[in-house]
Amino acid sequence: MPDSYPREHIEDLVDDNLEWSQLHNMMSDFKDADRFQQVRDVLQERVDWDDPIIIPYAEHLYVVAKSEDRWVIKCDCGHEFCEHDENWKADALINVRDSEEEYLEIYPEDMHPHPEYMELREFFCPGCKTLLEVTNVMPGYPLIHEFEPDIETFYNDWIDEPIPTPETA
Amino acid sequence: MASSEDDPSEHHNAEILSIDAGGTMTDTFLMDSNGEFTVGKAKTTPDDESRGFIRSSQDALEDWDLSVEEGFPNLVSTVYSGTAMLNRLVERESEVDVGILITGGMEDTLRMGRGRQSYTGYSYSDRLHVNTHKHPEPLIPRNQIRGVRERIDVKGNTLVPLYEDDVREGVNDLLDQEVDHIVVMYLHSYKNGEHEHRTQEIAEEIIDERGMDTSVMLSSEYYPTLKESERLNTVTAEAFAAEPSRDQLTNIQESVDEQGGNVGVRVMASHGGTIDIHANELARTLISGPIGGMIGANYFGEKLGYENLVCTDIGGTSFDMGIIIDNDWQIDYSPEMARLLLSLPMVNMESVGAGTGSYVRVNPTFDKIELGPESAGDQVGVSAVETDVDTVTVTDCHVAMGWINPENFLGGDMPIDRDVAEQEITEQVAEPLGMGVYEAAQGVIDILESKLRNDLEAVVTGEGYAPSNFKCLSYGGGGPVHTAGYTKDLGFDEVLIPEWAAGFSAFGCGAADYEYRYDQTTSIDIDPDLSMEEAAATAGEELTEVWKNLERKVENEFENSNIGRSEIDFQYNILGQYQGQLNSIDIESPVARVDTPEKLERLIDTFEEEYRRTYSEEARSPELGHTVTQASVRGVRDVVKPEIPTEPTQGPEPPEDAFKETREAYWDGEWLETQIYDLHALQPGNELTGPAIMEGAATTYALPPDCETYLDEHRVHHLSRIE
Repeated sequence: MPDSYPREHIEDLVDDNLEWSQLHNMMSDFKDADRFQQVRDVLQERVDWDDPIIIPYAEHLYVVAKSEDRWVIKCDCGHEFCEHDENWKADALINVRDSEEEYLEIYPEDMHPHPEYMELREFFCPGCKTLLEVTNVMPGYPLIHEFEPDIETFYNDWIDEPIPTPETA
Repeated sequence: MASSEDDPSEHHNAEILSIDAGGTMTDTFLMDSNGEFTVGKAKTTPDDESRGFIRSSQDALEDWDLSVEEGFPNLVSTVYSGTAMLNRLVERESEVDVGILITGGMEDTLRMGRGRQSYTGYSYSDRLHVNTHKHPEPLIPRNQIRGVRERIDVKGNTLVPLYEDDVREGVNDLLDQEVDHIVVMYLHSYKNGEHEHRTQEIAEEIIDERGMDTSVMLSSEYYPTLKESERLNTVTAEAFAAEPSRDQLTNIQESVDEQGGNVGVRVMASHGGTIDIHANELARTLISGPIGGMIGANYFGEKLGYENLVCTDIGGTSFDMGIIIDNDWQIDYSPEMARLLLSLPMVNMESVGAGTGSYVRVNPTFDKIELGPESAGDQVGVSAVETDVDTVTVTDCHVAMGWINPENFLGGDMPIDRDVAEQEITEQVAEPLGMGVYEAAQGVIDILESKLRNDLEAVVTGEGYAPSNFKCLSYGGGGPVHTAGYTKDLGFDEVLIPEWAAGFSAFGCGAADYEYRYDQTTSIDIDPDLSMEEAAATAGEELTEVWKNLERKVENEFENSNIGRSEIDFQYNILGQYQGQLNSIDIESPVARVDTPEKLERLIDTFEEEYRRTYSEEARSPELGHTVTQASVRGVRDVVKPEIPTEPTQGPEPPEDAFKETREAYWDGEWLETQIYDLHALQPGNELTGPAIMEGAATTYALPPDCETYLDEHRVHHLSRIE
């Protein structure tokens, strides 16, 4: 196990360009000590804005630091959703497929859920219109807040590093 | 049976030659008519394995001052095992292209595989975690697989006739792709092979018309057993990996002939016997485990009167365990090789990824010592200064503790530096944990041995057996240094360590019978309301027919080597169960035919007896009737086997020349003056009390302070604890 993988290896990991055997070795081994910071660096370099990434939140989404004590969820296009502990889906553009006709736009005939039992909710970024997430739920089901990161605990107790701020970035 | 010294005046008559062509080195084990042996080594030559084979044999024969031309004419038995076949499977690369015709709708059978194939062969933690599961690459790409409409049901009835136009189209298409072999695998063909046979006829007509030399292989001919995924994997492996080896094996036979040898080369097969290089089913010589040791152990047990043995083998990378009961091993009917489940009978062994070369690392998350699963293998460890190992291994810990003599590793062939071992253990293990270096080394050994002990206990008690009914046999180069540790408190009847532990697997290859084995899935019901006469006339007749058919296959195989029926000993087995059960038990039949009431009754009685022994009297349920789920025939022909030495016993006091020196060694937290002996100079009858260390040419036998050992007349050590 290396204490640290070369930068190119981590870039390949982020881009999903590793061979299965390489990926398997990484998963089976002890975790490299600086994996999180390396991945964070790669991601930070690839976005066009300067707010320091605190954690990757979901595909295309990050929690970034606006000041020492304000963290928001931001898309890689630059659109800012909400505070890190709020549900970003409430601020997204939502397309709901809840009719036979709308289902048939994307499903073959007879292969989709019944609209009275299931609806498909597609969440888009208001900035870049990227499809960020899809949920398939019963009609009337609330928007679930899936992930509320405990940033202090993660930085202080898990990786023992200071939380990035606009000043340190 | 010590590795014999170089004494030119001594005349050796080389009789048994067994060769193991590994990925890098070809090892030769040569035994003379007095049971003395020597070993040889040479680089494996993958493009023509016969060159490495001859060089390795030469290396061994040189120890006895013989040339290949002088040595080969006296050989009476030659057993070869190589890894070329297995490598084709592992690398998924072969010299040949294979096409498949399969029941329409089942074309993705190879790709989907079995759920188990997504983790089989992985380390324990990778088997547990779903994110490390992944289906292996199928052997044959999808464009070389063609569906044929047909269907035969589980009872062998034709539900959909064979669409012969589909066959023609498929064959032509595969021939356009210039495949070398066409494998035919239809559902339930083990029950009724008509469609496969008709497909073969059509395919061969087309092959003739087109003037090609493609061969056709049927799953109903090669491996007629239940479970299409395993059956397809196996027939495909036969075409893809085994057939290309035939030329290599023929080369080896030719080079034996050229050097004046007058002996047929045989190949070790997974069912525990050896087979001819011309055998029809060659894929069963794909062996991924060290079954040689099991065969050796069984022979050893038969000769010396040990019926029940637990076999343990520690090498550089793994710890392998197997059970022998009543002088027979258990068979695994669906072993895994190269991450594929195959339908081959294989001597059953459990293997864990922990050996003397296992890497020792401190888990940074939990600050605790972890072993393996990776290992330095034959590179030994950091203290082996000529290798480029960076991570501390188990052997390094033994070197630091003074158990292994740096001057005597592999008889001094591998230079070992004790200072390097101590320094690296300090840096990599002791300091991160805040321990002393010897304390840390001892900790590593304790962790390994308690792990081995747990695994060993699980294998024995997990099968429902009590260790007290078994003798534990320990072998492998790394075995005897750990034996006292991993057998501690398990309560085995006795612990046995043959002096030739390091060469025991090769000894086992030499001890393997000349044996063919054929299996066939059946579903023969013996209903409870039938009289024995009625049962014999129906089920009995049916089973007898299956046995006769398998017998013919075994005979055909022996005919390939000009061995007639009269020379073959047949043995008949079934897998049997009470009707409606899920699992069957393996029964050796006391009779060769069951078409009369008396004979059938004897078979059923044997089943009942075996069932009682396995599950208890209360569990028997003959009122349910019986089902025979598989029939097997084994054909054995006698071969010359290695002698187990028998020498007169001397007194308990070791001879003076066996004593080498005293040395400080670290035992359970303290440094003790330890007597060092030459393992091979001890005499039968000698008794030793720990702490002592016996150094052999390729192994070290460690005797801790609370243990004693007795060397018997067969040069087998009996290890026991001082009460």
